[in-house]
Amino acid sequence: MRFSDAAGFALASLRKRRLRTFLTASGVTIGIGALVCMISFGKGMQKNVTRAFESADLFNSIMVMPGGPSEPAADPDEPGARRAVRAARSGAVLDDAAVAAIARIPGVVSAYPDVNFPALVGLEGEEEFRLVQVVPAAVAASPAVRIKWGRTYTTDDEAGVIVSSSFLRRLGAKDPAAAVGKTLRITSVSFDLGKLVSLDLTKLFAGGGLPVAQEHYDFPVLGVTEMTVFGEGGPGLGQNDVFLPPGPARGIKKLPITSVWDVFRMAEGGPGHSAVSVKLGSLRELEAVKSKVREMGFSTFALADQFDEITKAFFFMDMILAAVGMIAIVVAALGIVNTMVMSILERFREIGVMKAVGAGDGDIRGIFFFESGAIGLLGGAAGCLLGWATSLLINRIVNIYLARQGVPYVEYFAFPLWIFLGAMGFSLLVSLVSGIYPARRAARVDPVVALRHD
Amino acid sequence: MPVVQTRSLSKTYVVGGVRVGALEDVTLAVGEGRFVAVIGASGSGKSTLLNLLGGLDTPTAGTIEVDGALISSMDREALARYRRHGAGMIFQSFNLVPSRTALENVELPLIFADVDRAERKRRAAELLDRVGLAARAGHRPAELSGGEQQRVAVARALANGPRLLLADEPTGNLDSRTSREIVGLLAELNRVRNLTVIMVTHEEGLAREFAHDVVRLRDGRIVATEGVR
Repeated sequence: MRFSDAAGFALASLRKRRLRTFLTASGVTIGIGALVCMISFGKGMQKNVTRAFESADLFNSIMVMPGGPSEPAADPDEPGARRAVRAARSGAVLDDAAVAAIARIPGVVSAYPDVNFPALVGLEGEEEFRLVQVVPAAVAASPAVRIKWGRTYTTDDEAGVIVSSSFLRRLGAKDPAAAVGKTLRITSVSFDLGKLVSLDLTKLFAGGGLPVAQEHYDFPVLGVTEMTVFGEGGPGLGQNDVFLPPGPARGIKKLPITSVWDVFRMAEGGPGHSAVSVKLGSLRELEAVKSKVREMGFSTFALADQFDEITKAFFFMDMILAAVGMIAIVVAALGIVNTMVMSILERFREIGVMKAVGAGDGDIRGIFFFESGAIGLLGGAAGCLLGWATSLLINRIVNIYLARQGVPYVEYFAFPLWIFLGAMGFSLLVSLVSGIYPARRAARVDPVVALRHD
Repeated sequence: MPVVQTRSLSKTYVVGGVRVGALEDVTLAVGEGRFVAVIGASGSGKSTLLNLLGGLDTPTAGTIEVDGALISSMDREALARYRRHGAGMIFQSFNLVPSRTALENVELPLIFADVDRAERKRRAAELLDRVGLAARAGHRPAELSGGEQQRVAVARALANGPRLLLADEPTGNLDSRTSREIVGLLAELNRVRNLTVIMVTHEEGLAREFAHDVVRLRDGRIVATEGVR
């Protein structure tokens, strides 16, 4: 029997039972649609995150922290480890001299301390408690800070700030563009040395408050950063709402601590920075710079090192999404098996006739395989369309919703060609596997029984 | 040398744990170009004999040779080939495929024999013409009378040019006039094409009128063989 004849038999049978063919193929369509949707979402997320990292220069960055490479996770009960920690702490302080030394390492473009201080930040009467990031002009001008409106500060001493559009929104500003040029008031808190001298302990314990002073500083808003779904564009991964150049920052009286850890570090007599951000010219310099920094007695954290882990995480995410899609596929496969078995019962006598006039087992198997394969291809093609259309729809709805929150348009789904080819191939495979049992059963029909059958 | 030769042929079915002998020790030789009628009451094993000769069923014991080939020991694929080329069969209930036209039904064995489309159409049309149904080629079985349907079945049985035609109660669903026409057609094919015909029937009159030999079956055994002409 020729291939085209097997195709003819199968298609004629599918056409004859249009509704059932349509319903069975619909099962495959929904399954493949779900799979395409899930995988294109996974791929879209991966693409967006990778791109965000690349554009924010995160792959070219190293975070340098005080302490040797083995600090502090080692077993605290092991004396050797403790000694190493102590040695590292006494040896290397991450002060301005160390930052300058790091900046001189070949391959380093810039190194700046990760300085921030808590302050009340206000615009036109509304104020909120924020961490103000002190960021040099060189970094503020890099792609790491994504200015959407206005401009960045040009020198480290320019008096001006950059704020995030999401922070402006929280402060009640409707139009982030209009905030450029307005005055931002930073209210910092510091110890009042005068009060400290005449500190009345009884008053303090009676609830008189700490000897703190508040100072107001006003800066013009120079630029507003763009909001993305993958975090506000700024150094590090956190939410950074206010950027200030180092020059004016030095003039602000502020608490030298942002967390309890800083208090401990002060107690050990080690002033200096809690972290230093280092930008590299290219990823190739990463290992060399890292080892030099470690020789200086500091520990490092590079996101590039974590990227393998991130890739692995995305792989698992894809697997989980695919597994959800697989449930629908399994249901669809059972639908195909059911339809094909029904088809055998209906065509029992016809199978007998075909065998009586000379059809071999292989001929009958071929007809049934072709039939289930055609259902798979049909459902797969429709599933690709459904998955694609659904993804576009979801993308649109999510973007409309997020646009109200000021998030720019993002393609959440990616559709590389292989997703569609893979989906078609997979649905064909699933339908052929579903056809194995029915095809074998059809081929095994006893013509004597079938011809006696009414 | 006979075209069909069976030796000690037996077929036993197991029904509800009980062995039922459908055919016992049947030894039969049919020479080339003969028209043999097998007569017997229902349940005498005549259809079983025909299914065995047609390669639809396999014997419990004994051997069948057709044209020197040992049918009784063929595997499934070889049996399919034998049914395709070696023996044509027609049935009491015609067994046409309802969704296919007369022409397409005749084409069916040619499809399984890998004959290309144009040649298939040509041969099927020629065979329909031969059985007098050229004008009805495009009709489906439901639009044909019983006699016409059986003619289509005859044309289909001859599609791949077998030398043996097996007819299982071909007149069982037909009136007496049509029955005579159909058996007459078989006799004519037997005469003109030197086709060996084995026909199972319970109509003794038709058997005596057209067949060369009459074989009587009772309870699965041959009880008499007589040469009519």
